[in-house]
Amino acid sequence: MTPQASQASAAAGLVLSVKDLSVSYGAVAALQDLSLEVAQGELVSLLGVNGAGKSTTLKAIAGVLKPTHGAITFQGQPIGGKTAEAVHKLGISLVPEGRQIFPMLTVAENLRIGAFGSYKAGSFAEDLEDMFQLFPILKQRYRQAGGLLSGGEQQMLAIARGLMARPKLLMLDEPSLGLSPTLVDQIFDLILSLKQRGITILLVEQNAERALQLADRAYLLSTGRVRFAGRPAEMSTQVDIAAVYLGEHGAVGAAVPDGAPAASASSATPGNPAASAGGAA
Amino acid sequence: MSLATFIEFVVNTLSLGSLYALLSLGLVFVFGIMEMVNFAYGEYITVSAYILYLLGINTSLPWPLVFLLGILGGAAISVISEIVAFRPFRGRSVEALLVTSFAVSLILQYTAQITISPRSKPVPLPGFFNQSVNVAGVVTPIRSLLLIAVTVLLLAGFSLLMKKTVLGIAMRAAAEDFTTARLMGVPANLIISCAFAISGVLAGVVAIFWVGRSGSAEPLMGQAPLLISFIVVVIGGMHSLVGSVVGGFIYAAIANVLTLVLPTSLLSFREAIMFAIVIIFLVLKPAGLFRGSYVEERVG
Amino acid sequence: MNALQWLSRRSTPIILAAVLAVLVYFLWWLNDSYLEDVATNGCITLVMVMGFQLFMGNSGILNWSYVGYVGIGAFASAICSIEPDSKRLQMPVMYEALIGIHMPYWAALLVGAAVAALAAAIIGFPLARLSDMAGAIAQFALLVVFYTLLAQWQQVTNGPRTFTLGGTRSTTIWVALVVGVISIFVAYWFKESALGLRLRASREDRYAAASSGINVVATRYYGYIISAAVGGLAGGLFSHYILSITAKSFYLAELFLVLSMVIIGGSMSVTGAFAGCILITIARQGLRQGEANLTNSGFDVSGMTEIVLAVLMILFLMLRPNGIAAGWEVRWRLPGRRAARSDSKQRS
Repeated sequence: MTPQASQASAAAGLVLSVKDLSVSYGAVAALQDLSLEVAQGELVSLLGVNGAGKSTTLKAIAGVLKPTHGAITFQGQPIGGKTAEAVHKLGISLVPEGRQIFPMLTVAENLRIGAFGSYKAGSFAEDLEDMFQLFPILKQRYRQAGGLLSGGEQQMLAIARGLMARPKLLMLDEPSLGLSPTLVDQIFDLILSLKQRGITILLVEQNAERALQLADRAYLLSTGRVRFAGRPAEMSTQVDIAAVYLGEHGAVGAAVPDGAPAASASSATPGNPAASAGGAA
Repeated sequence: MSLATFIEFVVNTLSLGSLYALLSLGLVFVFGIMEMVNFAYGEYITVSAYILYLLGINTSLPWPLVFLLGILGGAAISVISEIVAFRPFRGRSVEALLVTSFAVSLILQYTAQITISPRSKPVPLPGFFNQSVNVAGVVTPIRSLLLIAVTVLLLAGFSLLMKKTVLGIAMRAAAEDFTTARLMGVPANLIISCAFAISGVLAGVVAIFWVGRSGSAEPLMGQAPLLISFIVVVIGGMHSLVGSVVGGFIYAAIANVLTLVLPTSLLSFREAIMFAIVIIFLVLKPAGLFRGSYVEERVG
Repeated sequence: MNALQWLSRRSTPIILAAVLAVLVYFLWWLNDSYLEDVATNGCITLVMVMGFQLFMGNSGILNWSYVGYVGIGAFASAICSIEPDSKRLQMPVMYEALIGIHMPYWAALLVGAAVAALAAAIIGFPLARLSDMAGAIAQFALLVVFYTLLAQWQQVTNGPRTFTLGGTRSTTIWVALVVGVISIFVAYWFKESALGLRLRASREDRYAAASSGINVVATRYYGYIISAAVGGLAGGLFSHYILSITAKSFYLAELFLVLSMVIIGGSMSVTGAFAGCILITIARQGLRQGEANLTNSGFDVSGMTEIVLAVLMILFLMLRPNGIAAGWEVRWRLPGRRAARSDSKQRS
């Protein structure tokens, strides 16, 4: 939305471009005319309350949901309406909300599936070693069933699984949801290290404070529309985030099934509204 | 009960159990991935049996080739029916899939009736199928032993496929969570076609031994095996491959015990009793004996 | 409310009944016993379809065991209406209590419906809670149980042998017509009743309905019972028309018949199910005739009727899942009167 931000990303090389995207669940419009961009190497964050449309956006990009209107372009190719498998093949990896690891498959098998579309014997072993570096716990639990892992470990498995495909765009849907504060720290440290490796990341988070600390740019969503877009610094000064989170637009608890459970992550960051309004980013 | 009777009972139960295990595996395979009960499954067996009949009557191909073609035929009709009739309904309601598979089953039944005959036809089989052998003093049909051996081999092969190959892992992943599997790049069409192909192969193997017992093929022959596989899958566990195998043996044991134990007046009600047990399971223990990746959904 | 408004409110069943009456009268007037058969059979089938529609159309649930209840009604009413001596002769093993029963035709019909309803009440209760897939499998299993019981219980149904009613055909074309008309009204009444409304609400959104205080399980349960009762009634009509029944008449082929009518015509409205019944009846006659012609000229194609109908059914499910009517009800609206129109809009 802010001209300076868009120009900057255009210069850096756009990886993902979403224009006027609309998605409906039956008669309910979950997203309306949503536009966003992600440039090479950026970490872009989508913020907003439950039901704002953040997960819906990721699902539409990943091919799980079909857009009713609008265009999604990935590295110059239109991908709107393609199947999830096809989108994955093009290089987009979604780490879904709630982790969605395969509980009855072992850690090894979960990771193997992550590399399903892009498997090459040599690079698989390399990537596996890489994952073990990033997530030592996965090496320990390599032969255990995914369902036996703790919440934090499952989240790491989910992210590792997503990375096995060496994606050009990694999308994370609420990675810190339901995790204890220590684990939340670990996850965000991990995301930072991924960013430092140069991976392009689209991050959906309810934990606005932490997300803004990492993001190059952020979009604030509310009831399916983009309310604000720009750099984190601009966001904290120009938008009363607390008011948006508390539903200034009146549509509290919109009927859109965003997927996020009612127990919101803002409970994990008790001082959030006050801190953001004070321009912590 | 004498030792001979006991051995006979054991061999009988093992071979019948093997048959039922393979049978149910074919049904549960599609169910686990597609969440649909395929009413047409019985007809895949019928088609295989008719291939055995047609090749046996009209050609002098060696029996291993005939058997192979029968099995391939079962796989083919299964995959074809998926592409033509079930694929357009993917993602639709449970009812739509059930009704469609019911319609496909009827179409196949009546097509067999028209193209071949409404009457049952004797199927030529290799000689050794009807021969018997002496096992510890008990006269046992060779095909029973063959069935047990084939089942052990198939199950072992199956296990390998599901555990060691990436296709198997992908199928298990798809059975647990189809959407997420697709997010990982697992192609839906491939997985589903494979599931149907495997289901058809199993139907083909079952057809060989089913015909081996009855000696003939007829248009409605698929009904009985379908109903049996229903019972076994519900009791063994709708989301568990192991469950349907174990369930097959359990059901064979129960059926044989009932045959021995029930007064003749009640024997004809055996099917009613088994299906009543199915209903009880669905109400009280819908996951079956082996839970697998079952997630319960209740209305009230 | 004047007479015209009253009529307009109930125009759907009235129109359908009138159409049925005209069709039946016409077929009778042609003075051909074959056509009279078609008409009578058609009305009986209509009763069966109405019973099926009133549950499926409003709850969205396909009752796979339905034709089993039709069978229960058929046998129960037959047991009631046949003379004891005749029963004793035909089925010496029949239970004495059953042999003793004897009542006039109308009473036997009602008893048949009642027994079907009772069976539904007993069995439907634990099944009403099951989810879609488990429920469907359970209902199908129930169908097999019914079939096996009807086919094997010698002391009640003469086992796999034919159960002969003998005597004269109590279900005449006019009886069938009258009950057919009644069934249309019952299906429509059910749809417009509070129970029907609650059932539809639970179909649309189970959780919203529950949070509005609708007991989803109870509404399904009652709908299931009423549906079974109408089915049982159809069964009674049938057995007193065909005069000899076996369990096989109430199994997969019958199930397919009902399904094809309701899916092609449209399950969501009474008009749809009615249209489906009429259309499929006509289509089957035509196809059967075609079969006969082809068979006579050398190609044995018996079974072609079913194949064509099955393919049609799949096509409809694919392309027009709500059937021809797609929820539409034939209506006669009072011209210019907003009150009547907005009333009927609210109700649908």
